[in-house]
Amino acid sequence: MRGLPRDEPAILADKRDRGHVIECDAAAHALGARPGQTILQARAATGGGVHVFVHDAARTHVVWHDMLDALDAVTPLVDDSGEGTAYLDMRGIAGDPEQWIERVYRALDGFELPVRVAAGPNKFLARACTYAAGGDIGALPLEVLELDTRTIERLHLLGVTRLEELAKLPHGPFVRRFGKAAAQWHDRARGIDPTPFRPRPHEMQIGAAAYGEGSAEQEEQVYFALRVLAERVCSDLSRAGKAAALVQMTFECENGDVQVADAGFAQATGDPRTMLDVMRAKLESLTFGSPITGLRLQALQLEECGAVATLFGQSDADPQALAVALARLQAVTASPAQRARVRPSPRLETRYAYDSFGAVTAPRHDARKHHVPQLRLLAVKEIDVTMRGNQPLAVGARKVLDCAGPWRVDDGWFEQPVLRDEYDVLLEDGMLCRIYRQGEHWYLRGAYD
Amino acid sequence: MDTASAAKPTFATLKAGLDVRAGGRIVAARGDALASGFPELDEVLGGGFPRGTIASLEGPPSSGRTALLAGVLAEATQRGLAAIVDDGTLYPPDLERAGVQLDRVLIVTAQTPREVARCSDILLRSRAFAAVAMPAVPLRATIWSRLGGLAQKAGAVLFALGVHAGMELAYFTSTRVRCAIDSVVWSGESGVLCELAGYEVSAHVLKARRSAPGATAHLQVLDERISHAALRSRARISPVCGTQGRRARTTA
Repeated sequence: MRGLPRDEPAILADKRDRGHVIECDAAAHALGARPGQTILQARAATGGGVHVFVHDAARTHVVWHDMLDALDAVTPLVDDSGEGTAYLDMRGIAGDPEQWIERVYRALDGFELPVRVAAGPNKFLARACTYAAGGDIGALPLEVLELDTRTIERLHLLGVTRLEELAKLPHGPFVRRFGKAAAQWHDRARGIDPTPFRPRPHEMQIGAAAYGEGSAEQEEQVYFALRVLAERVCSDLSRAGKAAALVQMTFECENGDVQVADAGFAQATGDPRTMLDVMRAKLESLTFGSPITGLRLQALQLEECGAVATLFGQSDADPQALAVALARLQAVTASPAQRARVRPSPRLETRYAYDSFGAVTAPRHDARKHHVPQLRLLAVKEIDVTMRGNQPLAVGARKVLDCAGPWRVDDGWFEQPVLRDEYDVLLEDGMLCRIYRQGEHWYLRGAYD
Repeated sequence: MDTASAAKPTFATLKAGLDVRAGGRIVAARGDALASGFPELDEVLGGGFPRGTIASLEGPPSSGRTALLAGVLAEATQRGLAAIVDDGTLYPPDLERAGVQLDRVLIVTAQTPREVARCSDILLRSRAFAAVAMPAVPLRATIWSRLGGLAQKAGAVLFALGVHAGMELAYFTSTRVRCAIDSVVWSGESGVLCELAGYEVSAHVLKARRSAPGATAHLQVLDERISHAALRSRARISPVCGTQGRRARTTA
């Protein structure tokens, strides 16, 4: 809501059309807008003069994480308590609370967002102090405890409206009257909050780069640089006990072009040779307009690299060799290698689907083997068919020796209706094929082989 | 000199011993061959398709070569992985019905002969696949030579499926099998209640490393799910599909 005058009413909605109000500022609240209303209701309540902002969850998430990263400059221990609230452990950091607060303001200055910062011995007091200007948390209303409306109303009926009044109540009778959860409210009102501090884990960044060491015009030079970087990255991975499932290569060329290529592995690896093989395969599909002046490798999708827990069977091939083959195939055909999956469908063409070929499953030794006719799907071609009654007599100039069918296929009524009659026919030249009639036209679909 | 030559077993002695051990006939060790799934064909091939070689399955469309390949893939996927370089005609549901474990078959689609060759090269080079199937596209002898070498290093069988093997492929294959459907088996009388039950395929061995060429295996490709009570077969009458016809055309 930046950029608006302070008295301009504004609401934050979850979506532009038919959205609901998530938050409203003081001006909008004064006019009657409330969270939970639809935008129409909020506009009606405020007389139409309200600014509607739409919440962008993805952007909010990114900005929030950028803010947390900025807070890392103040202290390495930052507790992410959800978007909008973060706690910092300042124990051992030089300075006094006022200096710490000043540092936090400075760290978040670039975001141009209103922030409240306060210091306290525990999470609740720190948060409550952000509301209490003079540090007098006893005067804060009960809403600071984030109680439900019904409980607050009950406490108001008892004459309790502020934290200091709640703190004066006897602990035992209060808990007996309001239940176990009331113990926490009473403790917090007295400044006791045992909620542990949970520092957020830091995302590990493992990468290596080579810049300003001349330019590479030949393939061998690039491979050499890649090998050096791969060894550095794998060394770091090994030290961190990690393996990478993806390596991102960034090439900077002399003419200013920047090309980024991802080399994925079927299984996370920390082996420089495997990494180099996959990257070389990936490079086969890349062309550069000018010599390469900068190269950066970034290991992504890091996984713990402890005991080998592989989906590959013991008798199967080396998964790293398979990963290299998959990457090279993708480079040659510009599409990933696949595996087929069968699914029920009335139509021949939709009885199977392709998935990307990933981890190999263990062989099933109970798979039954039958020798069944194998259909080959040919390119669909219109053909001339002579009929006698309901049976094909000839396909083009070729006589039909034997025929099975028709089978009615009725599918796709909800999108693209398909209604056709299929036949298996044996032609006089020995061709055993699947044909079908759709409307007035006949088509060749496949041949048994 | 005479003593040394007397100490060496003569060739006749060695051959006699070998004949006794093999029961009068040289049979390949099962571990060195990939079974086809058809015992009759394995018999005439001397145990199956030798690993580390190129094999060609030849025949026109509707000759039964894909049914033969499905049998091989079903065997191959029981212990290892298989790969198919597809030209867009593959129909996986029938492969699965034949016992092929589709989740252990890598399928890569290639359009041009160059792509087919490169994909086969990559697949064999990975040494991850027990069987690799590719269409018998026209390739130079050097490429077939390289693929043969890679197959040997990988211990895999490279199957080339086509109407007939060109001169280059025919030279580098260790096993050539020409397929033809002898008769088509239907269930029920022609019409709505009729169903294709299968066919009988004759697999003629044109070239084999472990057995004498010229033998023919008669294979039955019959769907066991279809009731065999009302089976009837119709022999294919086309001379084009007969062995002699194709042989004449190949020679020409």
